[in-house]
Amino acid sequence: MQSKLTDIELIEQTLGGNQAAYADLVKRHQRFVFTLALRFAKGREDAEEIAQDCFIKAYRSLSSFQQQSKFSTWLYSIVYTTAMTFLRKKRLDTDSIDADESYIQIESKPSGYDEYNVENKSRSYYLNQAIEQLLPDDATIITLFYKGEQSLEEIAKAMGIEANTVKVKLFRARQRLKDKLERNLKHEVNELI
Amino acid sequence: MNSIEEKLWDYIDGTLPAAEQQAIALLIEQEEVYRNKYNELLQLNSEFKAMELEEPSMAFTYNVMETIRAENAMKPLEATINKRIITSIAAFFIFTITAMLVYVLSTVNWSIGGSEFKIPVELNLKAVHLSNFFSGPVVKGFLFFDVVMGLFLLDHYLRRKTVAKGQ
Repeated sequence: MQSKLTDIELIEQTLGGNQAAYADLVKRHQRFVFTLALRFAKGREDAEEIAQDCFIKAYRSLSSFQQQSKFSTWLYSIVYTTAMTFLRKKRLDTDSIDADESYIQIESKPSGYDEYNVENKSRSYYLNQAIEQLLPDDATIITLFYKGEQSLEEIAKAMGIEANTVKVKLFRARQRLKDKLERNLKHEVNELI
Repeated sequence: MNSIEEKLWDYIDGTLPAAEQQAIALLIEQEEVYRNKYNELLQLNSEFKAMELEEPSMAFTYNVMETIRAENAMKPLEATINKRIITSIAAFFIFTITAMLVYVLSTVNWSIGGSEFKIPVELNLKAVHLSNFFSGPVVKGFLFFDVVMGLFLLDHYLRRKTVAKGQ
């Protein structure tokens, strides 16, 4: 059962030495942090590693949290920087991977399409699929806006950019998501025909 | 087309000024193109809102807390000492030294007229005998406490060294 205390109360208890309070904070935010991490990492194992890393970093610097913003906004800014660092590192690592290997990965993806019939796939399945195809930045903005209960200003704070830039990025991300969703559905219909 | 969509998204998000919000509402009511687009975007918006969050593994919280516990256990003792204690000890010594200096300087006869400068009796080294300092039960007790503390710290240091060697 999750604690009924607010984030701030749980933080105060954690700073007072009650580690169980921090466990409650982790339980409360883990799904969202993990989903955000998944927008960058794509693989569940990597995403879990990023998400765990974020909570550990947040614990270490909990005393520096000024309470000028929501805890979630502060936590998401940690997720964003941690995930960006992960992505940069990953890019450096994959530079050395043979192109054939990447081809195999791309080839192996559509095989999943045959496993289901279009009737069995819900609209949310296609939505998740389309989100996975977005760039990490676009997917993050969409997730923060719709699932993170964050305003444009709070997203700007978490991502370290201007609120107006977030507005423009959100518009473009929604456009791209809509295009991908339509393309995937069209592809599915063609497969059936 | 893009500007229409952009305006409609802003309308849906409620980020437009009140006057513009009203103007867009009127357009949706009167223009079919706007109405169709608005309905399409509204449906997309509700789908985005209904998007489900992913679930991490069952042991996620446990793993995080275990890492934190392990990190805390590895923290050296010095790092866990409250900084306020160190500050108050430092303040005590600074205060004592300053008070002693003030007292000593206030007892000095500053009227330097030829050879009239005299060292106060308390500071006259000729008059100082070591036995004066090491007499009395309080001083002896203090010295005894110092010796015990010294032995305790030495023992602590040697134990830590032995543990470190064992690892």
